[in-house]
Amino acid sequence: MNASNSQTEIVRIAGVTKRFPGVLALDRINIAFAAGEVHAVIGENGAGKSTLMNILAGDLQPNDGQIFIDGAPSVIASPLVSRSHGITVVYQELALCPTLSIAENIMMPDMAARSVATFVPRDLMRREAREALARLGMDHLDPDTKLSRLSVAEAQLVEIARAIRQKARLLVLDEPNSALSTRESEKLFEIVRQLRGEGVAVIYVSHHLDEVLDLADRITVMRDGRTIETMSNDNVSQDRLIRAMVGRDLGAARPWTLQQNSAAHPVVLAVDDLTAPGLDQVSFTVRAGEILGIGGLPDSGKDRLGDVLFGLIPRSGKVTIDGKELPAAAPSASIRYGMAYVPADRRGAGALLTMSVADNVVSAALKNFSVSGFLRRAQIKREARAQVARLDARISHLGQKLATLSGGNQQKIILGRSLVTNPRLLVLHEPTRGIDVGAKAEIYQILRQIAGEGVAIIMISSEMPELVMNAERVLVMRSGRLSEELRGTDVNEEAILARAMAS
Amino acid sequence: MTDTVRTGARAPAMDRFSLPGLLRARETGVFLALVVLCLFLTFATDGFLTSVNLLNVGRQISLLGIMAVGMTFVLISGEVDLSVGSNYALSGLATGMLIIAGWGLVPALAVGLLTGMTIGLINGVLSTYGRLPSLIATLGMLSVVRGSALILTNGQPVTVNVRNGADPGVLEIFSFIGQGYLFGIVPMQLVFFILIAALAWVVLSCTNFGFRVFAVGGSAKAARVSGISINSVKIWAFVLMGALAAFAGILSLAFLPSGQAGRTGLGLELDVIAATIVGGASLSGGEGTILGTILGVLIIGVMRNGLVLMGVNPFVQELMIGLVIIIAVGIDKWSTRRRGA
Repeated sequence: MNASNSQTEIVRIAGVTKRFPGVLALDRINIAFAAGEVHAVIGENGAGKSTLMNILAGDLQPNDGQIFIDGAPSVIASPLVSRSHGITVVYQELALCPTLSIAENIMMPDMAARSVATFVPRDLMRREAREALARLGMDHLDPDTKLSRLSVAEAQLVEIARAIRQKARLLVLDEPNSALSTRESEKLFEIVRQLRGEGVAVIYVSHHLDEVLDLADRITVMRDGRTIETMSNDNVSQDRLIRAMVGRDLGAARPWTLQQNSAAHPVVLAVDDLTAPGLDQVSFTVRAGEILGIGGLPDSGKDRLGDVLFGLIPRSGKVTIDGKELPAAAPSASIRYGMAYVPADRRGAGALLTMSVADNVVSAALKNFSVSGFLRRAQIKREARAQVARLDARISHLGQKLATLSGGNQQKIILGRSLVTNPRLLVLHEPTRGIDVGAKAEIYQILRQIAGEGVAIIMISSEMPELVMNAERVLVMRSGRLSEELRGTDVNEEAILARAMAS
Repeated sequence: MTDTVRTGARAPAMDRFSLPGLLRARETGVFLALVVLCLFLTFATDGFLTSVNLLNVGRQISLLGIMAVGMTFVLISGEVDLSVGSNYALSGLATGMLIIAGWGLVPALAVGLLTGMTIGLINGVLSTYGRLPSLIATLGMLSVVRGSALILTNGQPVTVNVRNGADPGVLEIFSFIGQGYLFGIVPMQLVFFILIAALAWVVLSCTNFGFRVFAVGGSAKAARVSGISINSVKIWAFVLMGALAAFAGILSLAFLPSGQAGRTGLGLELDVIAATIVGGASLSGGEGTILGTILGVLIIGVMRNGLVLMGVNPFVQELMIGLVIIIAVGIDKWSTRRRGA
């Protein structure tokens, strides 16, 4: 298996750096991929894996550093160039065309390579597509079926079928099986091994360490935009990988105040046997003045929890706030019962980007700021000014459009909007995603302050340091279920990661 | 909508229950509506179901149809072109002026078509490399082109006849293109429409270019990672639209045979878009067929004709056409959602 080390290198990445405004996504990374190896790339969210894959795909250009293909310095200027080097990427978020058929999607790269002034070889397309599907054990699918009729798992398999057909020299699989069943995943692994035997270099990006250990010849761990180490897969344990991902001494410091507990406070939210798409019999409680952390991998169900609690997704089970049972699937009732929700998608669902700071602050409680349909501007200004001061948001004036604020200040305004309704329970999903370090610390400060005023807070987050630093208790989700809770000194990144990835 | 993972078997494919190729589920609805409309008019009027009237309808819809064929490409690619009415005027009038100036037919037609293609090229470049939404880019071009036509003609009517300087031989052929009848019975405009629609059907459904138009409009990202150049596909769709708008404008001038920059083709872009949308093309791209567009054009044409035959007040006609557009597209969206597509 590890004979690959001596084999020919297809791609070498040397000192590549990628900066985004305010973020260093890749910091002088070094990594090489050889023919006939499965090379796993692992790391926490935001470690830079996706940025690296996008650079290989020709979708992003590095700011610095050099890429060698077959030993020659190369620039992957576009997806077309990437493909001409034999690089094929299966994206985590699918790159398929819903209005076209399975066959048309599978054959799209072939069509792009043919002359525009040719006829579409329908029969050939169908035949080749059927073959590609059969290779994945998907014979039951009709190549003429429109893609929009497929399930997510089927679409994912179609995308993989397309990639395999292209006879790539370097195949990138970015979380390829997040929607696949065990049987389908096994079929995929079998094909990955087969491709390795044919001399293909396979890059396998995954959160599932058991799969990685099962499949990979070499494993590279990324953290904070850097390649931490590349190890060959013998005598490597999950624990060792987790330690490398978290960083030996760099685990987030946990404030001593979190070691106390608020068990004496009254329960605000009680969730009993909650089941919804992606969530399976979830039960937990949150007390007044407490920050409850919820962690887990992207496909664990945690990303649904906020939407389900708030009533955007139908559910079964019992949810009570202050002992009163909350009707399912009714966001307006959730607000009335004292819940405020800050979704992860700040730019989409979270904020009115084209409206002013003041308008955003009062938008969740307009009724309190209007008289017979007319807005009371003076009162709105007063309230907005009070929230801005309380949250220490840096704005030029209350009329400033939200879109022109930094991510951190936007998030503060959104928090302010939630607070205007005087919530009993604040549900936050990825509260500091895409926010710089300084603003993060300020937001944590504000959240602790809000909790101190007796509000119950649920913090759903992919960023483990955030949970360690702020949450009194942490519940980890896996496959739609909650693991046992971590509390007090048991809360640390390794413990969270181990529970999230346990198999 | 939630991104709930849909599990289980896929919905039974509608595609299997209909005639393969031609009548997909999407067009069946429009087709049935057309049949109902025709049946109704057959019984409600004396003159509808006569070969004279039907060929007359065929001629009336031809220019709209030729342009709607082009619009089908543009809409499927995920863009829209509002400048086609102005293009129709400028290209037609330019051709007419050249013929009056004594040019031969071929060079005059070539300049007219090139004018239209250039307008399409500008629309395409603005909407791709220029990063303008095509709605804005072509809205601007609507005025730019109309203004150009006004400047070119100085606002005066252009009438193509021998007295104004056209060569009699050239004029004879030019008039035949617009006013003549093939075999003495089928209007030439209809002949052109049928030829263009047939050719467009082949290009859209059977060629690599047609495939790319669908791919680009269906998912730009999927097309891009497959190595399809989104910009060039869209630009070519606009150029094709430009050429067809110009050709329709030239046919119109040959038919009438006069035009005026301030009046010709005013508001025509809305009729063209309406017919294409009624035929099932989607404003968000990725969907549409030539057959659907032809049916959409027929519905609007037959409706207009029928209302005239029934002696309906022209003001009411306009209102009813508008209702047809809303109802047709409404039914389509509603049934699509029911099918869960």
